[in-house]
Amino acid sequence: MPSKAKPPESRPVTITAVIDPVAALASGALEGNLFLYDTNKAEGSAGFGGTDLRTRVRSGDRIIWNVVVLECETYAALDEIVIDEKVCTPERKVYPNTDIAYWTATVKRHVTEPVPYRLKFRLGTVTEPYAVSSPALVGQAGAGKEQR
Amino acid sequence: MAQQQGIIVLVDIANALRSRTLTGNVYLFDNMKFLGSTGQGTPDLVTICPGTYWSDGSQATEQVLNWLPASLGSIPPTVPRSYHADRAQATDQEALEEIAGVADRAGDPSVDTAAELEGLRRRVGARARRQRGGRAPAAPKVLDVTGNVVTGEGQAYNHPNPVITDITGPAVEEKIMYPAQYGSPDMVSDGWYWAASVDTSRPGTYRYTMHIQLHELVWRNGEPAWEPVDYTCDSAIKVISDPKRNAFTGAGLGVLPIP
Repeated sequence: MPSKAKPPESRPVTITAVIDPVAALASGALEGNLFLYDTNKAEGSAGFGGTDLRTRVRSGDRIIWNVVVLECETYAALDEIVIDEKVCTPERKVYPNTDIAYWTATVKRHVTEPVPYRLKFRLGTVTEPYAVSSPALVGQAGAGKEQR
Repeated sequence: MAQQQGIIVLVDIANALRSRTLTGNVYLFDNMKFLGSTGQGTPDLVTICPGTYWSDGSQATEQVLNWLPASLGSIPPTVPRSYHADRAQATDQEALEEIAGVADRAGDPSVDTAAELEGLRRRVGARARRQRGGRAPAAPKVLDVTGNVVTGEGQAYNHPNPVITDITGPAVEEKIMYPAQYGSPDMVSDGWYWAASVDTSRPGTYRYTMHIQLHELVWRNGEPAWEPVDYTCDSAIKVISDPKRNAFTGAGLGVLPIP
């Protein structure tokens, strides 16, 4: 009988910021022009398509943040992620042999209360970053009940 | 010149393959929010198509729609278009260069040549076969979502971009839009893209269906292969009789307003 045991799921949780940089620059705000998604919908992530994404994570999960622009002629990049260092320490990396950056972090501990974080973007040639503080990492529903 | 509209089709491929449907796993965007498109970033986008005349009353050209599929959670489309091919070549090259070192050390009894070769095999990574009928430019070498090689089963891999294979539905049957696939020197779309001209003389909301092919990496006897999987998802266009206008000036064609 074939074994049901699957190799450990190593797929990282990717959080993608879809951004309309032209509209954000024109209106001076990210609200309405930033759409956050992640790849963990099956685990119960919520708030897709807005700025208050709730990404469901477990201790040990690897998270990747990247950016997709709706208008490829305008520069947009994730400049900084500010989050409680006890939960994770995001690090800027580049895809090998490119200067295209992504941010990555490993969830250090079991998350009970939602952990909000701040995403800072650089748009166009504007020196001041555009930021949102509404997304958060959230833990498993029914805290304490470990699903194994 | 026709006003060009872009419709971005962002697919959560991993979740679509898991749930065997595109329903709930597609997010749509266009660049016509300022003219009244609704549902940006949701599966329920309605793309606005303004009328056949400019705001000064002169006759406008037809509306043109372009579709651009993208994959959520993959290496983003901002990397160079040849990125997969370049990484495949670079990783092969690195492994080839190391072969010399392994050969030099092979005579040394304290060196475990078998382990070194195994290490080399991991550096080269896995190569997937392509199934007949698959249309995506699925690269043979399997990369992960950070651009490194995948060496074995159970590792997370980067999905090739979704491919639109057809556009059908009421909007096409009722001759509101005329979609077709075009060849293009624009490498953002791998040389192919779907576009349609819209008959803007008949106002109304018309639904259409996108036929989208995803690729799944299937392992058989330790050998990976890209298998095409076909799904569909719906969207709509809304043709209105309002005039077209220039997004910068709010007016039609003609002289630019003096500030």
